[in-house]
Amino acid sequence: MKNKLWSTIVVVAAVVAALTACSKSSNEGAQVVTSNTTSENSTKVEISHVLGTTTIEGKPQRIVTLFQGATDTLLQFGVTPVGVVESWAQQPMYDYLKDDLQDVTYVGLETQPNLEEISALKPDLIIATQVRHEEIYDQLSQIAPTVVSTILYDIRETTSLIGQAIGEEDKAKALITDWEGRVSDFNSKISKVEGWPMSVSVINFREDHARIYVTGFAGSILNELGFRGPKNLEGDDLEIVRLTDKESIPNMNADVSFQFFEDNEAVNKTYEEWTSHPLFQNLDSTKSNQQFRVDEITWNFAGGLKSAHLMLDDLYEHFKIEQ
Amino acid sequence: MKAWTIRLFQGKVSLQLSMRWLVALFILSLVLIGLFIIALAAGSNWIPLHEVILQLTGYIDTHSFVIGTLRLPRILLAILVGSSLGVAGLILQAIVRNPLASPDIIGITSGASFGAVTFITLGTGIISMQLLPVAAIAGGLCTALLIYIISWNKGVTPIRLVLIGIGIAAILKAGISFMIVFSNAVVTTKAYIWLTGSLYAASWSDVSAMLLWMLIPVPILLVLGRSMNVTELGDDAAVNAGIRVQSQRFVFLMCSVILAGTAAAYAGGIEFVGLMAPHIAKRLTVRAFNRLIPLTALIGAILVLVADIIARTMFLPRDIPAGVFTAAIGAPFFIYLLFHNRNR
Repeated sequence: MKNKLWSTIVVVAAVVAALTACSKSSNEGAQVVTSNTTSENSTKVEISHVLGTTTIEGKPQRIVTLFQGATDTLLQFGVTPVGVVESWAQQPMYDYLKDDLQDVTYVGLETQPNLEEISALKPDLIIATQVRHEEIYDQLSQIAPTVVSTILYDIRETTSLIGQAIGEEDKAKALITDWEGRVSDFNSKISKVEGWPMSVSVINFREDHARIYVTGFAGSILNELGFRGPKNLEGDDLEIVRLTDKESIPNMNADVSFQFFEDNEAVNKTYEEWTSHPLFQNLDSTKSNQQFRVDEITWNFAGGLKSAHLMLDDLYEHFKIEQ
Repeated sequence: MKAWTIRLFQGKVSLQLSMRWLVALFILSLVLIGLFIIALAAGSNWIPLHEVILQLTGYIDTHSFVIGTLRLPRILLAILVGSSLGVAGLILQAIVRNPLASPDIIGITSGASFGAVTFITLGTGIISMQLLPVAAIAGGLCTALLIYIISWNKGVTPIRLVLIGIGIAAILKAGISFMIVFSNAVVTTKAYIWLTGSLYAASWSDVSAMLLWMLIPVPILLVLGRSMNVTELGDDAAVNAGIRVQSQRFVFLMCSVILAGTAAAYAGGIEFVGLMAPHIAKRLTVRAFNRLIPLTALIGAILVLVADIIARTMFLPRDIPAGVFTAAIGAPFFIYLLFHNRNR
């Protein structure tokens, strides 16, 4: 009897495994976006992105943005979204974007946006990002055509994706050209400053640890502006480094250091502890007094085109360069 | 007490029914059905109950997206996950004969979490997230086998199983922390949400996949559930009753692993349900293992469903991971159990 039981279990397991495999594969084929063709004259655009191809008909009027960078960047096209996700600080929206978003509907957090709220808005375009919204792409596509960016904070990708999706590719090119113009202006001027090329470290203090943003939003932009990364981390191909021990402070070493952190008691305490440490006193940027506190919203949380411009404004100011 | 016995399949399946048990089963079913309807109605906008019924029966089609695509699969998944976690806990408590055992404590959930977190940190943006459940189930199964093999010493005794399980769980938790520290900030957020446990983004394919997995443990529990009543009295009593204790233990352990592992695969690391549901069931009725199964399943389903209703309606427009709320009720409950059992 026992042997019979065992063989039954094995058979059941095999059947289930096979069925699971079937149900998975049948679902993967079903990611086609269908939209009814009511007006035959309207333009159709096919956009291929990291999670598939999306067909957009006409010019989208009701847009929902599901990550901070998309909200910021869409506004730079002069288009106001009908729905956005909450900001990470100054909830529900960052002060620098608040005025442009007075009548907007908030659809929850970037990490788990509320699908019912989104569908209630009856959008005709949703702008999402892979790392946050891959699991809900199918559901989002049933609500409205959804385009997905690959990297959360890549301002070029976000700008050109939005440009394609809302039929404003020329405007997207103009926005990128404008940004690149400012980048080369800054670059040509700072290269005349003594000590160029400079290395820079972007440091973030948290309740219980510190981080170095080697790439990330701020790191990537500084890199584009011609700055070098932290001296002891060069060539290591790192993104965001968490330091949990003060012994690793030398990794922060650079000619200039930008620091952003939340303004609360626990974080301020971490800041005091780390910056008063002898190893921190020994950093090049400490010795040459080249340390600046910057806004964590424009330098980290926002991740959009406007915040990149605001970050660049900060840099012009810190290095006392005329724009 | 009034009792009846039902025998099916030449006595292979039999169930002793008592009045109290039937009443508990009836009331819990009613509660679950009530919650099911409320859950379908509640959300970012309240759909009147009669419209919910009409939509479900197909007379109207106005809410087919919100109810049919968003709420219904999520609610069904909550029920499946809750009942699986509850029964997984019941099985472990019976195998180990310790009221504090649950899949989260002896390493099965940690194994699934380790599989999932490894997949999230190494695979985000590279591999399709549809394969995440596979990684979680594989993690759970491998961990359970490892615990079983290490515990083997001419058979497996419950105490060895628990101690080794706790040890493996500690190692895996260290592994999870390691993966999280070495991943970048965006991926870390994703991993934390998974670890908390959330029914967000539940789809029909999740529900059907989970149902298919249930085909393995459910028949086993129906057929062999009765034999566990005896084993709970002790290995000697079970051997005298003609039960092969070791193979029974292995089969039931695997059932528990499949239940807890699939629940983790589709809803993440929802904690404490496996601990709470069996205890509440034992309070309601007699302590016979096979009769506790349906009650525990219902209570587990109710717990997770309530947690998810709160999670998606209390903080609108935010949608919070449901695991936050099961942990909020579960942690004090665990302390209560420790306190209650201190003199045993």
